[in-house]
Amino acid sequence: MYYFKLIGAFFKITSQAELAHRVNFFIRLLYSGLNLLTGVLSLVVIFSQIDQIKGWDMPAALALLGVYLLLGALRGLFIGPSLESVSGMDGEIWKGTFDFTLLRPVDQQFLISFRYWRIFALVDLVTSLGVLIYALVLLGTSLTIGMLVSFLLTLLAGVALLYAALLAFSALVFWNPSFLFTWVINDLFQLARYPVGLYPGWLSLILTWIIPVGLMTTIPAQALAGTLSPLMMILTLCFSLAALWIASWLFRQGLKKYSSASS
Amino acid sequence: MNHRGGWELIKNTWQSWIQHRGFFFLLAFGWMLPLLVYLFIWMAAAGDGSIAGLTQESLAGYYLLLILTNQLTYATTNWTVGDNIRYGQISRWLLQPMSPIYHALSQEIAGKIVFMLFSVPITGLLALIIRPQLNLDGVQILRFMPALLLAWGLRFFWGYWLALLAFWSTRADSLLALQDSLIFLLGGHLAPIALLPKTMQVIARILPFRYMSAFPVEILTGQLSNQEALVGFAIQAGWTVAAFLLYRWVWVHGVRRYEAVGG
Repeated sequence: MYYFKLIGAFFKITSQAELAHRVNFFIRLLYSGLNLLTGVLSLVVIFSQIDQIKGWDMPAALALLGVYLLLGALRGLFIGPSLESVSGMDGEIWKGTFDFTLLRPVDQQFLISFRYWRIFALVDLVTSLGVLIYALVLLGTSLTIGMLVSFLLTLLAGVALLYAALLAFSALVFWNPSFLFTWVINDLFQLARYPVGLYPGWLSLILTWIIPVGLMTTIPAQALAGTLSPLMMILTLCFSLAALWIASWLFRQGLKKYSSASS
Repeated sequence: MNHRGGWELIKNTWQSWIQHRGFFFLLAFGWMLPLLVYLFIWMAAAGDGSIAGLTQESLAGYYLLLILTNQLTYATTNWTVGDNIRYGQISRWLLQPMSPIYHALSQEIAGKIVFMLFSVPITGLLALIIRPQLNLDGVQILRFMPALLLAWGLRFFWGYWLALLAFWSTRADSLLALQDSLIFLLGGHLAPIALLPKTMQVIARILPFRYMSAFPVEILTGQLSNQEALVGFAIQAGWTVAAFLLYRWVWVHGVRRYEAVGG
């Protein structure tokens, strides 16, 4: 409960700071609109040439785009800004101001994961939900309660995998503060825009089991399209728990290496 | 105008950027990924056959060349012009006995060298994996050179005049994001122009964005007939002149509005 109250406080404080710059809201609106436009137009162009690619048709691909936008929105809302403040460009580890963060009487991983909120990213969240709902309408009658439940479960696993990947790459900064590891994972996340099965075999394997950006979006979208096998679902859920544990372990190991910057 | 000073500045800048190559390699990596995504999507769509006359091998050739061309024409400096105006850095440049555009040009040239150090080996490696099909002949290469140069000029001056709007509005950067989205949609990134729906093809052939990135590659891969190439060159040259005139006009009027405090 205490943690939820803290999250509420973080949200309130950082939102107040951001709400002072109203123009940013319209800029966010523009970027969100561009993101939506390019995403949807891409699918329109692709499916104007071909009815389905390797079993993926327009509604299924649109559902996947919705999941991708949703994960991206959550990353922009708090996971990204919170972790970037520690490990990004001019982050606390680089500058040495991480000392002050360590002194706070609360779990460090919790603190660095939930500190900063970008309230305007809620625009992205709304757009992504819009895309998802539209995709659900297109999929229409073929949906069952079982599919929706497995969708929600795998979506949760997708969020966990995204968080774990971002945390793990942020933790690497403890070993080499001058390299922008978080940029690498942000770049690779773009590959999650399309079903992992469309990539060549070698790449698809890497994106499934090594850097699981493929799993994050493909599995929930498969759950909606009804092509997800129970075995794959259980594997994904277990894998996301394992990824959370590994990322958290990596972060604690990194923490031991931290030795401030100057002074 | 002091051209010798400009040349010294160019040399200086690229030598200092080479020292921070890790950062620039990351940027180049990030630009490469979206193009690779669409290369793989279209390869999956083409399968063993072809799509609108393009086989997997010719798609691979097109996109690998586009990765290089796109980085050669991408004007990174346009993103910093606005900041330099807002933070008053430009005051110092205005006092120097050469045109401030040399600062942008020096970063352009430095950038191209550093990005190519990363991208040429990586695309070479990718070419070994995905085996593109290219039949280059002398005439195509001869035509490619001016097309590439004009594409760079067009993209640079187009972005530069947009960025200079920072003299009037602090959020002119968002126009650059819009430009990037339009290049993605209409500049041959999402799909080779031939694969776009008919109306998008017409729009793409008229607006300047195709001439900033895809046009030189279309010439090099021999996708265009003599007449198409000729018309393309005319439109490209027209837009380049227009972009240059817009830059001059915005610069002359904008710099009169400029005032800075301190320094």
